This record gives sequence, C-alpha cells and structure tokens, in this order.
Amino acid sequence: MERGYWIRSKPVYTSLLWHEKATSHLVVAQGQGGMAVLKLFQLMHPKQAITVLYTPYAEADYSKTLVKVVPEGLHILETEQEVLAKLEIVLQGMCMGMRLYIAGSEDFMWSVAKVANKFGIEDAGMMKELTGTLARPIYCVHCKATTHGVTTNIGECSGCGRMLFVRDHFSRKLGAYMGLMIDAESPGELPEIEEIYP
Amino acid sequence: MSMIDIKVAAVEQVTPLVKHFTFVKRDGSPFPAFSGGSHVVVSMNVGGRVHRNPYSLMGSPADTGAYHISVRKQEQSRGGSVFMHENVEVGTSLQITYPVNLFSLAKKAHKHILIAGGIGITPFMSQLIDLNRLNANFELHYAFRSPEHGAFADQLKAICSSKLHCYADSKGERLDLLALLSKQPLGTHVYVCGPNPMVVAVIETARNLGWPENHIHSEQFLSPGIGEPFKIQLAKSNIEVHVPAEMSMLEAIEAAGVEADYLCRGGVCGRCEVNVLESDGALLHHDHFLTDAEKAAGKKIMPCVSRARCDRLVLDL
Repeated sequence: MERGYWIRSKPVYTSLLWHEKATSHLVVAQGQGGMAVLKLFQLMHPKQAITVLYTPYAEADYSKTLVKVVPEGLHILETEQEVLAKLEIVLQGMCMGMRLYIAGSEDFMWSVAKVANKFGIEDAGMMKELTGTLARPIYCVHCKATTHGVTTNIGECSGCGRMLFVRDHFSRKLGAYMGLMIDAESPGELPEIEEIYP
Repeated sequence: MSMIDIKVAAVEQVTPLVKHFTFVKRDGSPFPAFSGGSHVVVSMNVGGRVHRNPYSLMGSPADTGAYHISVRKQEQSRGGSVFMHENVEVGTSLQITYPVNLFSLAKKAHKHILIAGGIGITPFMSQLIDLNRLNANFELHYAFRSPEHGAFADQLKAICSSKLHCYADSKGERLDLLALLSKQPLGTHVYVCGPNPMVVAVIETARNLGWPENHIHSEQFLSPGIGEPFKIQLAKSNIEVHVPAEMSMLEAIEAAGVEADYLCRGGVCGRCEVNVLESDGALLHHDHFLTDAEKAAGKKIMPCVSRARCDRLVLDL
C-alpha cells in the first residue's frame, strides 16, 4: 500500500467513552467487545438508565465479569441474531437523548448500525470500538452479495464465487467494503492471496 | 453574481410590523424551483447605496410563478427593512439572487420539530409544504409577542391543523422547551429560527438532553451591525477602503469596486470568508460560521457582518 494513502470513506473507530449529556445509555457488544464494555464501567457507572446487550464467543467470554460489574439492564444473548432481535425491541421504547455504544468486529458493528438506522439513529450518533478482529464485510459490486469475515486481500464472493479484491472504499449504508473482481481482464490469473485482516 | 430581475406584484400588511411581498420575474418567465428553507438576497438601492438583505422564501416550492417573502420592519435597522416597508410598492423593480438553501430538512429524520419565534416563521412556511407533501411526521411550535403579531397564524392553522401549537407571550403562554424535547422518539430532528435568545435556548436544551449535534438545526440571519468606522487594506487589489459606521466591510469593499464572493450576507453560509493577512487590533467577529477557535486565531473574517477595531487590517482580496 502506498504510504500516506487513505480513503475518507474508511470508518475511524475510537475507544468507547460515556457521553456525559446522554439521558440513557445502550451498549451493544460481541465477544472481545466485552472488554470495551468493562473499560467503560471502569471509567464510571453513569447515573442514567443503562442497557447492555452482549453475546460472548467461546474464545472471548466476559459474561461472568459483566454480570458482576453492570448494575442493571444486562442481557447476555447466545447469538448475534438474538442480539439484533433484542435490539429492535429495546429501541422501540427509547427516546432522543439515548446514546448508542457498539463494540465488536466490523461485521457485528455495522449489523447493529443497520438496525439503529431503521430507528432514525444516524452514524454520527453511534460510538464504535473495533475489537477482536480486523476481518471485513465485503460487498460484491457485481452480484451485490455481502461476504462476511474476510481476512485476506482477495476473497471469494459468497454469492457468485468471483474472486474479489478487497478495497478500503467503505459504504455506511451497506455496512461493507467494496469488493471488485480481481481477474476480470485475465481470468484465473490471481496475485498471491495473503491474510492482512486477521 | 448573476441576479434575477423582478417586479413586485403584490404587497400585503400582515401584522403591524410585517409586510408580505409577492415577486414575479420582469420578463414573465418562471422562477427557478427551490427547496423548503431556501432564501434569496434582495438588492435595493437606498439613497444611492446598495443594500442586500437575505429573506426566506415562504411560498410553495412547487409554485415557480411567484416568489414570496415577508419582511419585519426593524427598529434598529440600517435602512433595508424600512426601505422595503416604505418605498417598495406594487410595480417596484428589484434584483434578487438565485435561491440558496442553508436550512434544509433532514431527509432521514423520522420526525421534525419546528420552532419559530416571530418573523422566524418564514423559512418554515415553505418547509411545511414539503413536509405535508412527504406526509412527514412534524410539529410546529410558533411563539410570538401577541395575537396581532402572530403573522400567518390562520394560514398555518389551515396547513398544519392540530400539528400547530401557538404561544402568545401577551397571554402568558410559554413554550416549555425542556418538556417538549425530553420525550421525543428516536430519529427526531429539531429546527429553530427566531430571535437569538430563543435559538440559543433550543440548541442548549437539546444538547443538554444528549441530542446529537446533527439533529439540531438553526437559522438566524444577522444584519450587519452599526459600529465604529475603520480602514482596511486589500492586498491583491492594492487599495485602501474606508468602512463607515453604518456600512459593512463587504458593502464597503463592493462600493470600492472590488468583487467579493458572497451568498447569504447574514453570517451563516461562510461564502464570503476572507483571509486576514495582518492586523494590529481586535477583530470583532459577529458571524455564526467560524468556530470559536478560528475566531480566536484571527486568520479569517466574514466581512458580511464582522468588523474590526484596529489601525491596520490587511485582507487577502
């Protein structure tokens, strides 16, 4: 990669910090993101209402500590799908002033963001911390399928099987990086496939 | 800047202080379409001096046959609003700019709360038509001094029915901002246009309730204040310009024959921003565009509303 080169659409993630003016807090995390939630509670136990949705991974399970640390509103869920379903229900009862914090992989964070978007929460209204993996969701610009958890510079599209070059160009609406067919001009000629998003 | 030649087709006294003007194009052709919340800058010749004031377009964005503006007569005016009230009548020719929108509706909002104070109702008049057309969820909260000063209240009632909430100060009716903004559903955007204390109160209340900045919208055109006269040097043009007490820097620069960029002329849009090359005194920033840090740095100034108190001020013009 050319040094100094970056694409503005590439999301910038930060460390989660409580928003001091929020009237309630909703924290959604997955696997290693549990550590980001623990860091939040190390900073402060906020006065306002708190809801935490967490789904552990076998290799990253902070459930036991979260149960001890989170004072109220903690929901431990088995799968990402259950988190998203619970999120839909929780958001229905919330008002302006609620702040949303998300921690996990990009796949997870942008799935949460899509649900939040449906409720009128815009990108600028969510805080995101990337944890656990750099694996990317990839949107195939040819067949429009999204392939999750891509860890290599070139990945196979789960929809059409094309080999896709993984770009830095990111779509917030789709929640994925753009993937372009790498061997369109010379079929079968592929550069070396390397893991660069472990 | 290219202008549109118009003539006044109708004038109506709406309240003791507000007049409504209907403009048509001099050549009879239709106006450009615009979006709710847009404004135009009206150019008027007041005793040999050109005044340019921004006014919100308040007609239906779908009606390109005529433009509508309303002007409140300002007691502390430099003459623009008084000229509109006393010298402009049916048949008067004026020039206006093409419409610009610095106060547009947020397309992704799930609900819109519009808050107007007095003449601040005007940008909402066109937005309401867009909101009704889009079948959007909205509320309009309109505060005014007394019922006789509640311009267009009847017309608004017809457009908004139960979504309109009026507050007449004379009757002791008050808009409780904290109560209004405390229990709004997710995805709500708030818009305010009115006198400065009201705009500040809405912004501060929403912020203190945790609303994200991009859900809070405001528009407040400033008129260039009257101040002390001062002198400026224009580096590129290599001339010195005297800025009289009752003239803005931008007007003085224009009067000196130097072409300067502008859009709103009310300290909002940022188009007239000029680099300050040198100054030996205080820049008196009055705009809503530059950040506090930029104002403190003193490297930029908005000549449409800001002034200076110094012996030497060199601008990159």
